Amino acid sequence: MSVKQISVGPDVQFAIETHYRAEVRLWQTGQYREWLKDMVAEDIHYWMPIYEQRFLRDRRSDPTPDDAAIYNDDYGELDQRVERLYTGTVWMEDPPSKIRYFIGNVEAFDAGKDEFDVYSNLLVYRNRRQLETTVHTLGREDSLRRVGDGFKVFRRKLLLDARVTQDKNLYFFC
Amino acid sequence: MTGDPRLVDTIESSQSREIFWDKDVYDLELERIFGRAWLFLGHESLLPKPGDFITTYMAEDKVILSHQPDGSFRAFINSCTHRGNQICHADSGNAKAFVCNYHGWVYGQDGSLVDVPLESRCYHDQLDKSRLAAKPVRVETYKGFIFGCGDADAPSLEEYLGEFRWYLDTIWEGAGGGLELLGPPMKSILACNWKVPTENFVGDGYHVGWTHAGALAGIGGELAGLAGNRADIPFEDLGLQFTTRHGHGFGVIDNAAPAIHVKREGWAKYLAETRAEVGRKFGPERERLYVGHWNCSIFPSCSFLYGTNTFKVWHPRGPHEIEVWTYTMVPRDADPETKSTIQREATRSFGTAGTLESDDGENMSSATHVNRGNITRDGRMDSSMGAGFEGPHPVYPGIVGSSFIGETSHRGFYRFWKEMLDAPDWTAVKANDNTWDSVFTNREYWTDKLDAVE
Repeated sequence: MSVKQISVGPDVQFAIETHYRAEVRLWQTGQYREWLKDMVAEDIHYWMPIYEQRFLRDRRSDPTPDDAAIYNDDYGELDQRVERLYTGTVWMEDPPSKIRYFIGNVEAFDAGKDEFDVYSNLLVYRNRRQLETTVHTLGREDSLRRVGDGFKVFRRKLLLDARVTQDKNLYFFC
Repeated sequence: MTGDPRLVDTIESSQSREIFWDKDVYDLELERIFGRAWLFLGHESLLPKPGDFITTYMAEDKVILSHQPDGSFRAFINSCTHRGNQICHADSGNAKAFVCNYHGWVYGQDGSLVDVPLESRCYHDQLDKSRLAAKPVRVETYKGFIFGCGDADAPSLEEYLGEFRWYLDTIWEGAGGGLELLGPPMKSILACNWKVPTENFVGDGYHVGWTHAGALAGIGGELAGLAGNRADIPFEDLGLQFTTRHGHGFGVIDNAAPAIHVKREGWAKYLAETRAEVGRKFGPERERLYVGHWNCSIFPSCSFLYGTNTFKVWHPRGPHEIEVWTYTMVPRDADPETKSTIQREATRSFGTAGTLESDDGENMSSATHVNRGNITRDGRMDSSMGAGFEGPHPVYPGIVGSSFIGETSHRGFYRFWKEMLDAPDWTAVKANDNTWDSVFTNREYWTDKLDAVE
């Protein structure tokens, strides 16, 4: 990103942070269908690339959507992931696990045509069964589009900080 | 511990729970299995050019695997012979030399010590560098897949794969192009004994319909019928199960290779266009396997699903934890779009956020950690499903079970595990070559069954 990007004013900044708070509430309460329908655009690319540990001298380019990625989904594929959680036969989620999100450092930039580039930091705390706790931190790069009086995300890139995931899975949305 | 018949009972098809928990058993595994067997390191496609390297593990040992200027592959322990510092921290790259960060000792692509700082001034040219190479490991390659071994007395990789090559050739050579791996790998920690996922992949068709009921219903297609393990499905007509002398094994679901993939046009077309050549080269029995879906483990700790095309290594981290590395298998001569689509589908189903793989994590960890309790641990685990409904087959090598839902491949895996743990060296293992399958006592099972069909 360039430091010359045009920051949004306080009203849009407030509206986007409010949008993110509502999104987190839907995830924490298991309202995944509502999230997908109301907050995700049908042209979404939802992407969590795999970054290798490389030497500074390594000239190879960063991963693209043609390369290995933990998530590399369109709308239909996200819908498949969401619907799995409603089948009642995902035994690991019965009783359900807990998840809580802490979102910070939200920086929103005007991308023109009622679109916004937004950067944020995420801390995700998961708890399941009796004693199982895991923590993930990520960077998030979004492209949001104003839809009605709210926003929908149409590009979401999730940058994991840990090379080796210290968790059974990464089956949660960000 | 050695020779203890209680750990694995090959007559009653049961195992002690200690094999998932006990530290002494684990230490013996490190010595007698991981220190002796051929372990998966990588594939030529992950380091295609001279100078390309990857870092990986052989059990708990860190290893550098490097593509040599002459086109061969060499591997050596990723630890400096000065004070033991790890030499290389990159996952992959291209390097003519590897420099230890601590005092700057320089190792060549084959692990030889080629330079040290201040060699004249401070070592007075009296350091014998020829005796200070990083410790080498044996490297051999089969159809592009690269394996390493820490035992000079181990048989060749080809002998170790043995009659299992008859099966692997079907897919690793196929119509000619064979398979390659796509990285970089996903990596994650899972709190389980390494054998739980290995046995799950080698022979567990049973869990699919129950554990993955939710995901199967969402995917639909050929395998949706398995959801719920309903009694009305003719499982014996859907596939087979195999095990071999050195513990390698798999189950196959007929005509289901790409069934887990939602977007599968390119992969299905590739299989349709190449299967006739496979039939011509390898015969109809193996053409059947070529278009089936396999759940497979190569002893001890490498597993894959052919069809879904996820490829895994379960690196042990003590008895109660593993580090899972996940690659994708693709046909070398498929078009780039097909390769990319296979990678996306394999990851969506069996990656770290896999719609199926995410179902399995608790099965793996729970079967390990329940044994924290000593009343629990003083018990056994059963793998007798289909015992007796298996035997030597007139066409397929090894031992063949009658259904992909059965525990034939578990029995073969733990039979070899016990043999390796009991044997003081490879000579003792080789002495059993002619009698290894005598624990599968129904010798006439297949001749009787096939006669009855005719």
